[in-house]
Amino acid sequence: MLDFWTVYEDHYEELQRELEKAASTDPVLQSVIHQVPQHVRDEQNRLSFELTRKALVDSEWEPWLENLQEQGGAYAAMGVSIPSWFRIVSDFRRLLRPSLRQVYANDRDRLAAAIEAMENFTDLALSEIATAYLHSREELIIQQQEAIRDLSTPVLQLRQGLLLLPIVGMMDSHRARQLTTQLLHSIRAQRAKIVVLDLTGVPTVDSAVANHLMQTVQAARLLGAKGIVTGLSAENAQTLVRLGASLSGLNTLGDLQDGIEEADRLLGYHLIRETGWVPPSNGTAGD
Amino acid sequence: MGTSILKQRDYLIATVQSDLSDEEWQQFQDDLVRRIGLTRARAVVIDVTEIDVLDSYAARILGTTVEMVRLRGAEAIIVGIQPDVAFAMVQLGLTLDRVTMALDLEDGLEYLDSIGPRRRHSIHAD
Repeated sequence: MLDFWTVYEDHYEELQRELEKAASTDPVLQSVIHQVPQHVRDEQNRLSFELTRKALVDSEWEPWLENLQEQGGAYAAMGVSIPSWFRIVSDFRRLLRPSLRQVYANDRDRLAAAIEAMENFTDLALSEIATAYLHSREELIIQQQEAIRDLSTPVLQLRQGLLLLPIVGMMDSHRARQLTTQLLHSIRAQRAKIVVLDLTGVPTVDSAVANHLMQTVQAARLLGAKGIVTGLSAENAQTLVRLGASLSGLNTLGDLQDGIEEADRLLGYHLIRETGWVPPSNGTAGD
Repeated sequence: MGTSILKQRDYLIATVQSDLSDEEWQQFQDDLVRRIGLTRARAVVIDVTEIDVLDSYAARILGTTVEMVRLRGAEAIIVGIQPDVAFAMVQLGLTLDRVTMALDLEDGLEYLDSIGPRRRHSIHAD
C-alpha cells in the first residue's frame, strides 16, 4: 500500500491534470465539471487527497469511505452515470501503471504488490461509489412510491357524516396502513358516521387485502364510524371464499350505488325526486 | 388520580384524563361500576380522548367495564379514541367488538338520547 501511495503522491498533480483532460472528452462529465465552481473542486480534491493519505498511510479508512459515498451520491444526483466512473477509474489505473513500473522496475515483487494495492484501492473506491449510487436511486424510488400513494388515496366527503374512500390499484400493507391513518383522521376531522370503502378499482383481493380491510373497518368503528364495503367483483368474491378468508364482520354491498343508498338510509337522508321535473336538455330544440 | 366521574342528567360521564397504570385502571372500573348503582344512572359515557396509549390491559378493562355496566342495567359507550390509538389497537387485535363507540362526548350523548329512556323491565309473569 505504501509503495503505491508514494508513487501516487509523487504523480498526484500530473495525474489530476490528465484525468481532468480525459474527463473533458466525456460530455456528461464535462457539463458536471462546469456545474461545480473551480474553487469548490479544488477544495474537494484537497480534501480527498488528504483523506486518501490518511487511509493509505495511517489506515484510517472510515473518513475516506464516507467522503466517497457522499461524493458518489452528489454526482449521482447531478446525472453522472456509473460507466463514467468506470472510465475515470480505468483511466486512473492506465495513467498510474507506467509510473509504478518505472519506479519499481528493479524489484518485481514490489511492483506486483504496488499494482495489486492500486487495484484493490480502485476496486474499493468504485464499489463505494456504486453503493452510493444505489442508495440515491433507491431513495428516489421510495420518494416516488410515496408520491403515488399519496395521490391515490383520497378521502371524499359526500354528505354531512358520510365519507367515500375509493381504493384504486393494489393494496399492500404499507398502503393499507397509510390509507387507514388518513381515513381515521378524516373521520375525526369531518365527524363522519359512515364510511363507504369502494373496491371497484382494486384488481385482486386476496386474504391479505381482506385482512387489511377488516382492520381499517375495525379501526373506523373504534372512532364510532360504520364501514360499508362495496364493489367486490365476482372473481374477487370467489377468490375470497375459496381462500377461506372471512369478511363476516364486514358489511358488504354490491356496488357503490347500493353503498351510498344504504349509508343515506342509516344517516336518515331521504332522496326525493321532484314530480314533473324534466332534466335539462342539451339546448337543441325539439330534442 | 387521572379520572373523574360526573353525573349529568341520568348519565354518568367518566373521563380518563391521563394514561393510567394497571392499578389505576382497575380502580377506575371499581369506582364506575359502584357509582352506577349509587346514582341510578341510565347510561355511562367513558371518555378516553386524553389517552395516547391503550394497551391490552386497558382495552380489557374497558371491555369488561362495559359488560359490567350492562349487567347493572345501564347502557355504556366509549368515546374519544384518537386515530393513532385506534390504529394501534387494531394492529394488536384489540377491537372491542361488543362495545358501542362514538367519535366524542357530543356524539356519544346524542346516541344515548336517541336510544330512549331506560329499558322497562317487565314485572308481569308471562
